[in-house]
Amino acid sequence: MLITRVLFNRAPKADNFWKRRRVFKLTAHYRGRKRNCYSIAIKYLHRALVYVKKGRKLKKKDAIELWQQRISAGCRELGSSYEALVRGMARCQIALDKKTLANLAIWEPRTFKSLTQIAAAKLRQEPIKGLNDISPPPAGVITRGML
Amino acid sequence: MSATKRVQQWSTFSRMWYLYDAQWQDPFHSAKVLSPYLTGQNKPIYHPLNDCGDHVVVINSQEIALRGDEWKKRVYFHHTGYPRGASWTLAWELHQKDPKMIMRKAVFKAITSNLVRRTCIERLHIYPGSEIPEEIKSNLSGQIRPVMPVPKRLQEYSKEEIENYPKVFDFPNDYILR
Repeated sequence: MLITRVLFNRAPKADNFWKRRRVFKLTAHYRGRKRNCYSIAIKYLHRALVYVKKGRKLKKKDAIELWQQRISAGCRELGSSYEALVRGMARCQIALDKKTLANLAIWEPRTFKSLTQIAAAKLRQEPIKGLNDISPPPAGVITRGML
Repeated sequence: MSATKRVQQWSTFSRMWYLYDAQWQDPFHSAKVLSPYLTGQNKPIYHPLNDCGDHVVVINSQEIALRGDEWKKRVYFHHTGYPRGASWTLAWELHQKDPKMIMRKAVFKAITSNLVRRTCIERLHIYPGSEIPEEIKSNLSGQIRPVMPVPKRLQEYSKEEIENYPKVFDFPNDYILR
């Protein structure tokens, strides 16, 4: 009863219910007291949100790793290497990102093959130490000194 | 080429069967080469959840070559789980007991530790000699290049080749050759 000032202060705030409700909505799928007991739920929710924040970065990192793996697999099939492709393309000023290259390796193998050959032809003109030995012989690349 | 057939890829998800000759090859070096084939990392469609690894058939695992004094120094540990159940086996002892074991363990170690590791290693078929069962031989569709060149023994050269080998100098007539 809120008849006195003291009791009024002691009573739970009206906003408290909504604050807790917000938390319980996020912990609804937890198991045990983590779900319904506020003091426990808030602890686990904070931890979960930290994981979510870390996961946002990891997700991007994992995707980049996967693309790199896919590109290097595609290069190895053709007798080239990831390094040779990337550095040769950079010198030709072909600005394709890893995601595109990985997709090309899967869906457009012939386009990908021609890219590795262009990169190899460029590296043949301007050799990088240690990379030229593994690059494939460029068949069907007509350079005319344009690369 | 018609637009419908442009991206037709019939055997994208088929499994290849590779042959690998382990004659005088370093098992630990070859394991690094073989493991991507087993996990599927040699294909552009690779994904950790995508089960796209190939089969690898290793022959002549009895003839593997270890570096330096590794036959005497490399130790394989095993524990039965019971007290005093630990045992340490030297590489040459293990190879005598089972000539497939060193190769298998090397490849198992080279594959990244995860839940599909044991599934991947199931696709590795090791044979101590050069003979393969007919049902596996019929599947073979590719070959993996050995990691080290296999040297030729002097006995394997024909007499003609030895005689025609370029000489730096001729021995003098009075030089005594045993």
